[in-house]
Parts: sequence; structure tokens; C-alpha cells
Amino acid sequence: MGWRWFHEWGSPKWFYDRAGRWQRVCGFLALALLLVGTLWGLGFAPADYQQGNSYRIIYLHVPVAFLAQALYVAMAVCAIVLFVWKMKLADVGMQALAVVGFGFTVLALFSGSIWGKPTWGTYWVWDARLTSMLILGFLYLGLIGLRSAIKNPDLAGKACAILVLVGVVNLPIIKYSVEWWSALHQPASFKLTEKPAMPASMWVPLLINLLGYYLVAAYLVLASMRTVILDRERGSAWVREVIERD
Amino acid sequence: MLIKPKTLQFQNLTCVRDDRCLFADLSMTLPPGSLLRVAGPNGAGKTTLLRILSALHEPDSGTVQIGEVEDHLESRQEILYLGHKPQVCQDLSIMDNLMFLTDASQAICFQALQFVGLKGCEDSLVRELSQGQGRRCGLARLWCHEVPIWILDEPYTALDPGMVAILEDRINIHVGEGGVCVFTTHQNPTNLRFETLELARVS
Amino acid sequence: MSVEHRFLVRELKLVLARPGDFFKPMWFLILVISMVPLALSPDSKLLGEIGSAMIWVATLLALLLNADQLFRDDFVDGVLEQWLFFNRPLFWLVILKLFCHWLFYVVPLILVTPLAGMMLSVPNDVMIALLVTLLLATPALTCFSALGAALTLGTARSGILGVLVMLPLFAPVIILAAGVLTRASDGSDILPLLALLGAFSIAAATLLPLAVGVALRLNIGGSS
Repeated sequence: MGWRWFHEWGSPKWFYDRAGRWQRVCGFLALALLLVGTLWGLGFAPADYQQGNSYRIIYLHVPVAFLAQALYVAMAVCAIVLFVWKMKLADVGMQALAVVGFGFTVLALFSGSIWGKPTWGTYWVWDARLTSMLILGFLYLGLIGLRSAIKNPDLAGKACAILVLVGVVNLPIIKYSVEWWSALHQPASFKLTEKPAMPASMWVPLLINLLGYYLVAAYLVLASMRTVILDRERGSAWVREVIERD
Repeated sequence: MLIKPKTLQFQNLTCVRDDRCLFADLSMTLPPGSLLRVAGPNGAGKTTLLRILSALHEPDSGTVQIGEVEDHLESRQEILYLGHKPQVCQDLSIMDNLMFLTDASQAICFQALQFVGLKGCEDSLVRELSQGQGRRCGLARLWCHEVPIWILDEPYTALDPGMVAILEDRINIHVGEGGVCVFTTHQNPTNLRFETLELARVS
Repeated sequence: MSVEHRFLVRELKLVLARPGDFFKPMWFLILVISMVPLALSPDSKLLGEIGSAMIWVATLLALLLNADQLFRDDFVDGVLEQWLFFNRPLFWLVILKLFCHWLFYVVPLILVTPLAGMMLSVPNDVMIALLVTLLLATPALTCFSALGAALTLGTARSGILGVLVMLPLFAPVIILAAGVLTRASDGSDILPLLALLGAFSIAAATLLPLAVGVALRLNIGGSS
């Protein structure tokens, strides 16, 4: 059958070895891209005519916030794969993505509130994007909590998959309702919507950094997937070999 | 009470639990009138096998079939499953518990409770009774349902010798009518003629 | 007797057998509401302004008090696995169970909220809007908390985890309900928002029982 590759992917040992290589590639590429993007963004991109230099946090904030949401969608894909093909690797992926995604959400909130201080004059406002990011963080936290509370790993994985799928259906509803709510309560001047179009010298480094952070996320996810695999397969012979080898 | 006799068969059942193979490639056909005891030490997978036969648990591979219906889930109402959990609610009376679990009429439920020696405590709450009496309430369902396949997990637990004899009589009648019964027990049934399926504990 | 009839009878008898579960949420609601003036100020104008929102949040929390118990006792006693032998699809049984829960525990709690409204001097028209939003929103909330309860059945002990996991998903319901209350207090049209709220509840009440059914099935299959 043409499904051989698919089953190979299901083998933890095969994945563990491959992921090690991919992880290194991701790591180096990420380092290179981030170096270029960040230096360019912080050092050479022009200052914003309204916010001056404080806007430069977008080179961290925007990619991180973007990824925090993208990782949730990736988790939903894993959940579907787990239910349809019962592939254990998808469950490992979900577990890793939840932790990494939570990390990115916290970073996005943190960088957002640092940016908020010079822009809004306060660390926290109930802005639509901040609020829905906060809710996203709680969703990630719920997944991590649920998994750690259920002893049976098989059951924990499937319970998390259900929660992820319900969450992913709800996320757009949450996002739109929060936007509506914030429009209801806040004067529009509080928002940064009507910005002039960014010049290329601003958005090119942003794009490079976005790619860079994607690779960072991939690196972290692969690394934590490998750890999870070692933990789950700790009884098997090949894990003992790996541990003795390293 | 009349049942429609059905055959229970399972093929190539395999179950892996926590990376340990409980059993592999179990196949058996139980025609109407079969009485099967699943034996084996603790941890051999007896309960898991019984739950697979009741469609509560999915096997890692293999199929279970009742009668002509291929989909095991479709034929679930042909099964009466008695687990080792009490399957009664502590806060409800004996009668309320029984009436919820069966679609039998109140008169039949009264009769069933009489058979298991719970006459007179129909309205007592389960938590006011002893463990053995709670157990009897669960067993009373054997006198209510008209179901061909019985799956009984440790039915003798907490029963006195008198109740054991009554239960064995009931199983014999069921099998005599063409029913199928699969059970486990660590005691020695004295009054039953059964086949044995021995599960070994494989490591 | 049909399965549906047996379900209703059993749930009703359970309410009678556990009066504590029936009264505790109401007790909690009134208690929390009486703490508000103590923590804020006895100024009835101020209380009237935030009163409806306070009652909404307090009712929400009161609802969650019993949520974890929805399936746990039946799961531990092994009654839940007998559901699978009833001649009905699991999601239908879940809908029945949740409907009973809503009718026997949630609706009585909502009927107590006018008392809380009087304590916080909430204006009458806002109070009516509050009652309507609660009636429309609670089916969705019940379904969400049921999913939380079903997902956490596999945890060793009962607890608040199911609530923590589900609470973020309540955000749209809370926002819509709060929108209705704001509009009710300044006298503008609340019907469009009520329609949205009702639509959300209907969608939740039809889709979530499927997810709850899958979660219950998982837990039954995963326990030995």
C-alpha cells in the first residue's frame, strides 16, 4: 500500500531519529533568520512617525502573537489526525504544542503589555486583541491541566483532543464577540487600527522574523515531542539504547 | 419468560493494555445454551475480555458478533452486563434503581426482588443496606430482562451460600432456555456445568 | 416504560433524594449577593448600576457548583456504563440528562435571582432582561460545563478542573448577555442580541451533547 510512509510516521523510534535531525536544521535556520530580522528591525528600519522607537517591539510581539494562534490550529489538526487515524504521534504533537503554545501566548501578552505602557500609558487595557489572547492562554492552560490530571495517557490524549476541537470551533466566536464587546465599551481612538501602510523597510524584517519564530516554534515543538516520546516509551529497548548512547 | 436464542462469537480478539499484551487471537463460538467461565489469575484480562464482549471496551483487533448482526454496537440491547461495580445508585431505593435499569413492569420488578430475597425492602435506600444486599439488587435484573446474552463479572462477590444457589439455578434456567452466559469467578461453582477459557498472565 | 420516562423519573427522584444539591446553589447566590454591598457600598444607585452584572456572574458560579457531579456518581457506581445498553444513542441520553439537570437545578436557581435583584436594587426592566438572558444562556452553559465534567471523569478525584477548563469558553455567552443588560438599562432594542444568544444556546445544545457522549464513551472504555 502507498500508506507505508504514513505508518512509518506512527513509529516513535523512526520519528525520534528524524526529528533530531530536523530539529538541528530548524535551530540553525531560526538563529540565522532571527539574527538578520532582529538586527535589521531594531537597528536599521526607520522609526515610526507616531510611536518613535517603541514600535520596534513588533518584531517580537507580532510574530509571537501570530504563532500563539497558529499553534492552536496546528493542535486542532493533530486532534483530527488522532481521532481519524488513531495515530499516537499526533497525541505527542498535541502535548508538545500545548506547552509551546502556552509559552508563546504568555510571551505575546507580556510583550503586548510592555508595548502598552508607552502607547496607552498603562500595562494593561481591556483591548480586544489582548483580551482574546488572554482567553487563548486560559484555553492552553486548561489543556495542560487536563492532561496532567488524567493518569491514563491514552484517555488524556483523547480528552484533550475533544477539548481542542471544541475550542477551535469556539475561538472565532470568542474573537468576534470580544471585538464587538470592546467596540461597545471603548472609544475608537484607543485603537491602532488606522495606521498608515508600513513601508517595505519595516515589514520585510518583520516577515523574516515571523519565519524565524515559526522555526523557533518548530524547534521547540520537535524538542519537546522527543522528550515526550522518550518518556512514554521508557519501557522499550530502543529508549534504553538511546539513553546509554548519549 | 421467553428469549430469542442468539449465538455469541468472537474472532481473533487481541487486547494490549499499557504495552502489555493481555491476550492475543482469542476466537470462540458460543451457540445458544453455552455457559462459559473465563478463568485466570488477577491481571490476566478477564474483566477486559468481558467488557469487550459487552461492547464497553474496544479490542485492539478482532471482532465480536451476536447472531446475524455484524455490528456489535447495533446488537447491544441483546446483552445484559453485570460489572463488578455495584451499578446501583446509593441515594435511590432498591425499587427505583431496578425500575431505571430495566424496562420491565413494576409487577415483574417486585417478583424479581422477591427472588433475590429483597422482599420488604423495596423502598429502602441502597446506602442503608449491606453490600451483599446492594449486590442482590443488581442481580435482580437477571429476573427482569429477557435478554439472550448474559455477561457476569464476578457475580458471586459478597453473596451468601443461599443466594449463590439461587443464582446458579437462575443461570441454569437461562442456559436451558437457550441463552448464553459468560462469567468469571474465583470461587468454585458447584451446581453449574460450564466450559472454561483459561487466560494466562503473559508478561 | 420508555427510556425517556425512566430517565425523567430517576432524575426527579434524585433531586428529592439530594435536597442539598438543590438548595446549595441558591444559598450560594444569595450569600454572594449579600457580600456585594458589604464589599462595595450600600449606595443603592451604585448597586443598581453594577447589580445585574454581579447577579449574572454569581449565578454563573452557582451553576458551576453542581457541574462536576453531573456524571461522577453514576460513573463511579457503574450506572453510567449501563446507559450504553439502553436502546438509544448516547448523545440522546446526554441531552435527556442535561435537560433534566437544567429543569430541576438551573431553572429554580434562575427563579431566585429576582430576590437578588431586589437586594441590589436592580431596576425592574433590567431585571426582566436579566431573567430572559439567563433562561436563554443557561442551556449553553449547562452543556459546556457538562463537557468539562465528562472530560474530567478520568481524574482521580472530583474537583474544580472541569470548571477551569470550560470557563474561558463561556466568554461569548457572557459578552452577549452583558450586551443585553447594557441595552436594557438604557432602553434600546434588545431583541437582536437575544436572538443571537438563543442561537448560540441552540447550537451548543445540539452539538455539545455529541462531544459529551464521545467523552463519556472514552471514560467508560478507559476504566476497568
